[in-house]
Amino acid sequence: MNLIEWAQSPWGQQVPVHIGWSLLWVSAIGGLLFLIGHAIYVAYWAKPAHAHSNASAAAASGVAAQVPERVARHSLGARLFHLIMAISMFALLLTAFLPKVGVRFPWVTYHWIAGIVLTISIVYHIIHAIFWLDFWSIWPDEEDREDAVRRFRRALGQSAPAPRKFAKYPLENKLYHTIVMLAGLAVVVTGVFMMKRVQTPFFIRNPYLFGDMTWGWMYVLHGLAGIGFVGLVTVHVYFAIRPEKLFITKSMIFGWITREQYLEHHDPQRWPVSEEASEAGPSKSTKVPA
Amino acid sequence: MTTKPTTANYKLIGKNYTTPEIVAKVTGKAKYAEDFRADGMLFCKLALSPMPHARVRSIDMRAALAMPGVKAILTMDELPAPADSITDNGTVILANPKGFRALTMEPLFQGQPILAVAAVDELTAADAIEKIKIDLEPLPFVVDPLASLRPGGPNARLDGNVWVRVPPPPSQAGRPAAVTPPELQTLKWTREDFEDAKQGRLPMGKPTEQWSVGDVDAGLKNAALVLDETFVTPNTSHQCMETRTAMAYWQNGKVFVHTGTQSTSQTVPAIARWLGIDPSNVVFISEYTGGGFGSKITGDITLVIPALLSKKTGAPVMMRISREEEHYIGRGRPSLLGRMKVGFSKEGRITALDMYVVCDNGPYDMVGDSFSAGRIVSVLYQPQAMRWRSVTVLTNTPPRTSQSSPGGMQGIAIMEPVLAKAARKLGLDQVAVRRINAPEGKAPFGPLVAGKQAYATSAFIKEALDRGAEQFKWNERKLLTGKRNGSKVRGVGVAISTYSGGTTGFDGLFVIKPDGKIYIQSGVGNLGTESWTDVHRVVAELLGVPWEKCEIAWGNTAKNLPWTCPSGGSQTTHAMTRAAHAVTMDARKKLQEIAAKDLGGKPEDYEVANERVFRKGGGAGMTLARAAQRAVQLGGVYDGHELPKDINKFTVVSATALSGQGLLAVARDTYPHDGNTFSFVASFAEVEVDVETGQYHILDYLAYADVGTVLHPKALGGQILGRSILGIGHTLGQKWVYDQHYGLPVAKRFYHTKPPTILDIPDKMAWGAVEIPDPETPIGARGVGEPPVGGGCAAILNALSDALGDEIFRRAPVTSDVILAALEAGRPVQDPLRSNI
Amino acid sequence: MAVIHDVIPAFELFQPMTVDDALVLQSRYGAKAWVLAGGLDSFDWFKDRIKRPEVVIDLSQIKELRGVRTVSDGIEIGAMTTLTEVVRHPMIREKYGILPKAAELAASPQIRNQGTLGGNVSQDARCWYYRGGWPCYRAGGNICYADTPSGLNREHAILDADRCVAVNPSDTAPALIALDAKMVVRTPRGEKVVNAEDYFIGPGIDITRMTILQPGDLLTAIRIPSTWAGAKFYFEKVRDRNVWDFALVNVASAMVASGNTIERIRLVVNGVAAHPVRLTAVEAAVAGKPRNEETAELAAELAVRGAKPLQHNGYKVPLMRNLVKRAIRGVVGEEAA
Repeated sequence: MNLIEWAQSPWGQQVPVHIGWSLLWVSAIGGLLFLIGHAIYVAYWAKPAHAHSNASAAAASGVAAQVPERVARHSLGARLFHLIMAISMFALLLTAFLPKVGVRFPWVTYHWIAGIVLTISIVYHIIHAIFWLDFWSIWPDEEDREDAVRRFRRALGQSAPAPRKFAKYPLENKLYHTIVMLAGLAVVVTGVFMMKRVQTPFFIRNPYLFGDMTWGWMYVLHGLAGIGFVGLVTVHVYFAIRPEKLFITKSMIFGWITREQYLEHHDPQRWPVSEEASEAGPSKSTKVPA
Repeated sequence: MTTKPTTANYKLIGKNYTTPEIVAKVTGKAKYAEDFRADGMLFCKLALSPMPHARVRSIDMRAALAMPGVKAILTMDELPAPADSITDNGTVILANPKGFRALTMEPLFQGQPILAVAAVDELTAADAIEKIKIDLEPLPFVVDPLASLRPGGPNARLDGNVWVRVPPPPSQAGRPAAVTPPELQTLKWTREDFEDAKQGRLPMGKPTEQWSVGDVDAGLKNAALVLDETFVTPNTSHQCMETRTAMAYWQNGKVFVHTGTQSTSQTVPAIARWLGIDPSNVVFISEYTGGGFGSKITGDITLVIPALLSKKTGAPVMMRISREEEHYIGRGRPSLLGRMKVGFSKEGRITALDMYVVCDNGPYDMVGDSFSAGRIVSVLYQPQAMRWRSVTVLTNTPPRTSQSSPGGMQGIAIMEPVLAKAARKLGLDQVAVRRINAPEGKAPFGPLVAGKQAYATSAFIKEALDRGAEQFKWNERKLLTGKRNGSKVRGVGVAISTYSGGTTGFDGLFVIKPDGKIYIQSGVGNLGTESWTDVHRVVAELLGVPWEKCEIAWGNTAKNLPWTCPSGGSQTTHAMTRAAHAVTMDARKKLQEIAAKDLGGKPEDYEVANERVFRKGGGAGMTLARAAQRAVQLGGVYDGHELPKDINKFTVVSATALSGQGLLAVARDTYPHDGNTFSFVASFAEVEVDVETGQYHILDYLAYADVGTVLHPKALGGQILGRSILGIGHTLGQKWVYDQHYGLPVAKRFYHTKPPTILDIPDKMAWGAVEIPDPETPIGARGVGEPPVGGGCAAILNALSDALGDEIFRRAPVTSDVILAALEAGRPVQDPLRSNI
Repeated sequence: MAVIHDVIPAFELFQPMTVDDALVLQSRYGAKAWVLAGGLDSFDWFKDRIKRPEVVIDLSQIKELRGVRTVSDGIEIGAMTTLTEVVRHPMIREKYGILPKAAELAASPQIRNQGTLGGNVSQDARCWYYRGGWPCYRAGGNICYADTPSGLNREHAILDADRCVAVNPSDTAPALIALDAKMVVRTPRGEKVVNAEDYFIGPGIDITRMTILQPGDLLTAIRIPSTWAGAKFYFEKVRDRNVWDFALVNVASAMVASGNTIERIRLVVNGVAAHPVRLTAVEAAVAGKPRNEETAELAAELAVRGAKPLQHNGYKVPLMRNLVKRAIRGVVGEEAA
């Protein structure tokens, strides 16, 4: 199995042309194995969910009264972005990989149209997140790291302080976002350049924008990120439908979580909300990230 | 086809006959280089450069050498250094250290051989090549001469982009004159120079060479019509049917080489020079050659690869060249980008001609095509004033060399459409416009040398035009111009054409043996023209011997062949009929002397005829067989033990080997010769173009030649029509196609480069010859290989513009897409200046 | 590693005697196997060392793949029947004259003696970049060299290009589509019969293949129904040379007319896309119309709608237009086609 397909350039040089498409199966199977492993782990070994420190639980009870019944989690804009991104991502994956597994159709036009939609939505998201949302809420921080260590040690049966409840986003969510962001940027940046290689109404086709080697690595990167998404999306969908995570999935549809869910999973100090703000709906003051 | 009866009283000259090798050729018994096998013979294969310009950083051949069956690998380090050559008159031609060599470490075009592998079979050799790691560093390249001349444009070589001729060093007493190789320089034109390119006109920046005769500016000023036209001719491969396959082995210090050549004797010193050995150690075998067209004048330098591998391995080595390899190393005709500013009087006479040509030289040795184009235009159209300017630009494309009418074809193709357009603008007959400008007698041409122009030995092109026009029924057919029948439109075209037709100063050699037969030694190459045997008909004719009693030894230098002209520049018929005449006169003199010695009287009392030498007016005589016996008895000059002083040392060796076998006749051609020899052709064509598809068909073609005395009508007809087709191919579709981004060819096969097929040639073809002997040569015969080429190309171009008008094409070839796109747009659409599209 | 485009690399050769054996070999070796018909397309690839199969399955010994048979509704031509046999077959000449006409314009006499009908319709693209071994889309790469600002695309597509701009070079393919022929394909799952026009695919569907044939599949025969037997046929091929050349554009039509009215017509153009282009819109537009210049003009304009020429192949638009015109009204000045 080749990780990378090589070809002889017109000048007889070895250049990469794209990834070995069998890697697609590696990613898909990898994703599946992860979710099977995770499901088994959760079912048989995972400690009960209420393992948060007493201190934070006490703090939570103190603030409970101030928490509205529905805590706004995702703004309408953020939800629409997520929906559009998800649709374009599925379109991209299907147009990219169905032909690779034998379902043949003229996929290129759909693929780049979906690519443009994804690109625009990502650009919107970046601007939105920088100027309107709590930009840092999605990035792992020092507390996340400490809690991760604590959880890991506890999972191994060692003694460790109880990890705190999450801020707005669980660490897994943050890590996932980071990986998706990296892969997304890779496909988008390479994809935008690759549009110069095919016929579109936007550019005069010029495959010679870069040299053979640069293009080759760009295709490899695009391919790696693309098949990466197969695994990532598999995992994402899996978590979205896991019972204990369903409330997050719902919030991505309806925009809010219940007070109970808020208090159970989140640390109000790390994700403070106020009744006033919540009733007014998502606003700047609540800093609702996507 | 017509067979012209000859008017002279010859029995053999001017008559058709069966040439000695023709049966072997048509039955497949003829052995070409590739057909030879020798005991223990190895095969070699070449590793070619995949890049248009690169430096070989390293070669790792360990894996290849470790393969069973791989015997040796040859690289450039093992080639002898380029050596000087010396002409017959002692002029030293200094080697060009930047010339093409068989292998290289800095390939300058895709397909240039880097190394060769010898192995027990071709499969092993090819598999071995795939195991060799050649680390190449890509270097700047250019495949379009104008791109190289642009400001900041790339150079084909690290040290320059144009060849510039340099004057030879002053010859010192006691040392022969030397010819120095041209110099590489860097030339860039200015942005302003390139303004003209936007209008599809050839930019005319600073030239590297020029000459002028008369007052061109005044001629243009006083003209009734001035045309300023750009026309571009294609790069085309020679595409010989036989690729330059070669086989070699060594025995007792001598190298035996089998390969195709145009010239048997002349290939020996070439092989010796390339291998750095003495010519006496070369045995060269080449009985049959599948075409040369100027690319195999003395074989090909790549023959050193099997020769050196054979030396290295101690076994015979065969190098079969594939069609793709032939595309790379088989040489090509350079594209000329031409611009003509021509002034015409209202009668159509050319008052002034300002010619500018850019030559796409390829990366190696400078070709003379642009210079030759100027010379040919000058002699053919006799402009009252002319200026010629040129730049020869290097590109990273396969090396060029002379191809049938080098420069002549391009010059004529660039000039003829101008003449055709002028005739239309001036309302003159096309034949009349050519006639008024055509040369006559000792027509002057070219630049002034020591204050004088050179001149032709003779020119009867006007007669050829007249007779051709009559046979073609030009005056009736020209009424067809533009005649429509549905989507078909007809046009007729005429063009005149010329090229050099002969040289002087070579040797003849034969032996009359006591069996009464004449054993003629032919050093002429058998390149398909039949001149190798035709020229010797002169011997039988002048000795009065039946042709059946003549045996010709040819194609193998072990058979003791005389020093002979190279068969290039259409010189053989002229040069070697002269040598044949001279050697026959030598034989006749010796026969007369022997007869006088034995039978009394003075030599001049005897004449030679009917296989006898006998006293004039009847009386005593003897057979040639008897005279041959007597020659052996007499020895000395008669049987070759004493040889004339003026013959070439190559002939001396052969004559010495043949001495004592009979009456040995040997002589050098020292006949006077006033002028430069040219042959001329007037070509006529009728075409029918389908304006809905752009396809066209050549309905009829006639070439009427002025070649002096006709030696062998069938062979002459074959040459006139065959070479016309070579020219026609340049109009029909032959070309190179290069991807400029990678600098690589995409058209490498016949179905891409499109040489004309038998179904593309004119439906009807005919030829004629005016048969007026050239006054400057004893038999009166001139060569004809090259003169028809330009005429073939241009007659079709002119017929097309006659049918469709002047706004269709600005370059050759003119293919259906060019015609259709131009008809659709109402103007020429194809970019005239971009190379190799 | 140094590149050499010479000497066919070694492969294992199988010469099965029956179709079943060929299919067994094909399924045994899968994508490693190369199916060899007349060899005119294959040997080029092999000798250039660009396609390097480990196994070659030569069909030349399979008798059942050769010859012309009469079937209930028309004829069936074995895929290995040579083009010369097709050209000379009296019954094909009489009833389906467009096929021998197209076949006779293919390549050269020598090639037609060796080349097969199945091979001719299944042949690979002749784009000079692709055939030169450049790693383009069609070769599994990620670029089309012919459609670049400096690409040389005089012989390339004006229709239905999708990244790759190569064209289908077959002369017999459009004639077969005009005759509404069916391709009989044996697959590992049994025999299937597809319409000739559906046998060919564009780069959008599969950029590395010209036909629906997948590894393991074998075209065994071509059936021509009698639907268009004896119809008014037109075939014209425009090429650079009069023999041994691929079409720049060719056109094939079968027409049934009553009086001067076109009752029904099938019209196909090749050399303009990666697959022969059947002009169904034109067929519908001209049905029921008189066979005259006006209808021909209408057809011609409709035919080239949507054509997207590249830098060097703009001429193909008027050429296709004119050939369609001729297919409808014939060549003016010549006897009616």
